[in-house]
Amino acid sequence: MSGGDGEEAAAAAAAATLHIRCTNGSKLAVRADLGLSVGAFKAIVAESCDVPAPQQRLIYKGRILKDEQTLASYGVETDHTIHMVRGAAPPPASTAPPAANNVTPAINATTASNSPAVGFGGLLHGLGGSGSANSGGLGSFGSGLPELSQMQQQLSENPTLMREIMNMPLMQNILNSPDLIRNIIMNNPQMREIVDRNPDLAHVLNDPSILRQTVEAARNPELMREMMRNTDRAMSNIESSPEGFNMLRRMYETVQEPFLNATTMAGEGDRSSNPFSALLGNHGSNQARDPAANSPTTTSESTTGSPAPNTNPLPNPWSTTAGAAQGATRPSPVTNARSATAGGLGGLSSTDLGGMLGGGSDTSFLSQVLQNPTMMQMMQNIMSNPQSMNQLLNINPNVRNMMESNTQLREMFQNPEFVRQLTSPETLQQLISFQQSLMSQLGQQQAGPERTQSGAGAGNTNLNNLMSMFSGLGAGGGLGVPSAPNVPPEELYATQLAQLQEMGFFDTQENIRALIATAGNVHAAVERLLGNIG
Amino acid sequence: MGSEGSAGVVVVPRNFRLLEELERGEKGIGDGTVSYGMDDADDIYMRSWTGTIIGPPNTVHEGRIYQLKLFCDTDYPDRPPTVRFQTRINMSCVNQETGMVEPSLFPMLGNWQREHTMQDILIGLKKEMSAPQNRRLHQPHDGNEDQRVEQKGLSLRCVIM
Repeated sequence: MSGGDGEEAAAAAAAATLHIRCTNGSKLAVRADLGLSVGAFKAIVAESCDVPAPQQRLIYKGRILKDEQTLASYGVETDHTIHMVRGAAPPPASTAPPAANNVTPAINATTASNSPAVGFGGLLHGLGGSGSANSGGLGSFGSGLPELSQMQQQLSENPTLMREIMNMPLMQNILNSPDLIRNIIMNNPQMREIVDRNPDLAHVLNDPSILRQTVEAARNPELMREMMRNTDRAMSNIESSPEGFNMLRRMYETVQEPFLNATTMAGEGDRSSNPFSALLGNHGSNQARDPAANSPTTTSESTTGSPAPNTNPLPNPWSTTAGAAQGATRPSPVTNARSATAGGLGGLSSTDLGGMLGGGSDTSFLSQVLQNPTMMQMMQNIMSNPQSMNQLLNINPNVRNMMESNTQLREMFQNPEFVRQLTSPETLQQLISFQQSLMSQLGQQQAGPERTQSGAGAGNTNLNNLMSMFSGLGAGGGLGVPSAPNVPPEELYATQLAQLQEMGFFDTQENIRALIATAGNVHAAVERLLGNIG
Repeated sequence: MGSEGSAGVVVVPRNFRLLEELERGEKGIGDGTVSYGMDDADDIYMRSWTGTIIGPPNTVHEGRIYQLKLFCDTDYPDRPPTVRFQTRINMSCVNQETGMVEPSLFPMLGNWQREHTMQDILIGLKKEMSAPQNRRLHQPHDGNEDQRVEQKGLSLRCVIM
């Protein structure tokens, strides 16, 4: 017995025997010096079991052992038991188990096939949103988070707007050339870094068929919803299987998190990306609620926006080509002329209402109006008749009050020369540019009426925009005096230059040259600049 | 113990009871998902204790390690100790601000038996985490714990959207 005691004393002095209990119930004995640090002890434990040291969570007597402390400082002695829990993999994921370890290949294949297209759908949503805000501006992808969220929200609320944007010739030309899209995406340093790290992502961006599939999904709300549902189901299946969490986490940390950081321009680290995750979470929940509520709001806004109560319901002659054709085939007695006048004002209100949903829609709509000779002729007839002009202005109470308070404005509209100048395409295009800049400034006010879903509020916003346009036009035009042609281009095209800067065209000289060549048309200037890039 | 002629039940003194629980905590007897020990080894009254609960599987608590404080006053084990969560947790029987376990909502503390031990309290709390009303509650995001998968899943969906 005394010999045995001596042996035990010698063993205790050399190393202590500690028992490790794993979560699954297995138990193992480890010999280690009590002066070791917890980190070193984890390395010793890793040799005896299959859990890597960074994933080990050791618990002894109700405390979680920290790597910097020593075992003796926690009071660990021989024959004591330490509990071990397998924790999450560290962010680098270098020590993670191999992919598809416990996952069914079918589920993995489903996710692999779904994620790239759907992920690119999100990218294109951002792209479309930027286009809607800046009339096809493409370099501004990755702008501030609030603006991007707002654009995405507006875009998802209105499928028609998305379809209209996609059908514009500019967008068609852009999407038909993969090189252009790759250049746009590579302008963002963080996106370039992501592509360098993930060859698969580069393959997605270079594949025209995937781009086309993404465009189809973005254009068709039903298809988009179905793709989202498939992705959610696949993710739920993966989450339910063993090690599914780790696989989803790895996919998120490798692809989606850098993608999200690049999109929001907040790549400072995991800590700073968490608030954006919360913001996007709220944004996602809002999206689910808005489409259902937006449809009746749009209908009520359309009804409220029509300021022609004393006229029988007349189809909007400016909404579609069929309406225009129908108007063209109609005879023109005095009664019909008055109806056309009232309808014209309704069309103008519709234009403003459409502008609330995005500048792109407004530009497209007015471009169609300008290119239609029948509509131009109808507007010419309305404008050339002073009595019709007076009736047009008196229908709207706010406009009438404005006319009474400002006699110069009334005289201006009575002047045929000024009216003819207002009708010319060049002036109308300048008016469109002015309205676009006005829309961007009133972005905050636009959101208010939409949030409260108040038709009257929307109407007031429309009228405010209209009066602002008239005031600006009056101040700029003077009493029918045209603007001096010898003004320097920087001042003449200040608004257009600001818009091009916002779109991402930072070469001021190139922008001025394009604007001079296109007579201040931002749309044509953008096409010209993109043509140079292509 | 000599029980000759004694008709009553033997009452274990407080210190012997606590020493026995301390040794069981050191040896790790049990299923391995709860662990407890003294907060301060030099406390001769052995009043302040620390415990941990590993979140049970198939619940929102899975993968989380909850740290608690148990305070056994001089009348323990005749009266239950006070239990407080140091790790933030969302449970029906836990006060959200202070982390105290409410005896009125946790039957083991409300209907205290002398035979219950601190290990029984921890195991009872772990079973409470698997109860239907607590198994799906959304848990607060604690910086000390591992990242929550649900939040990242939500971010993933939003990015795809």
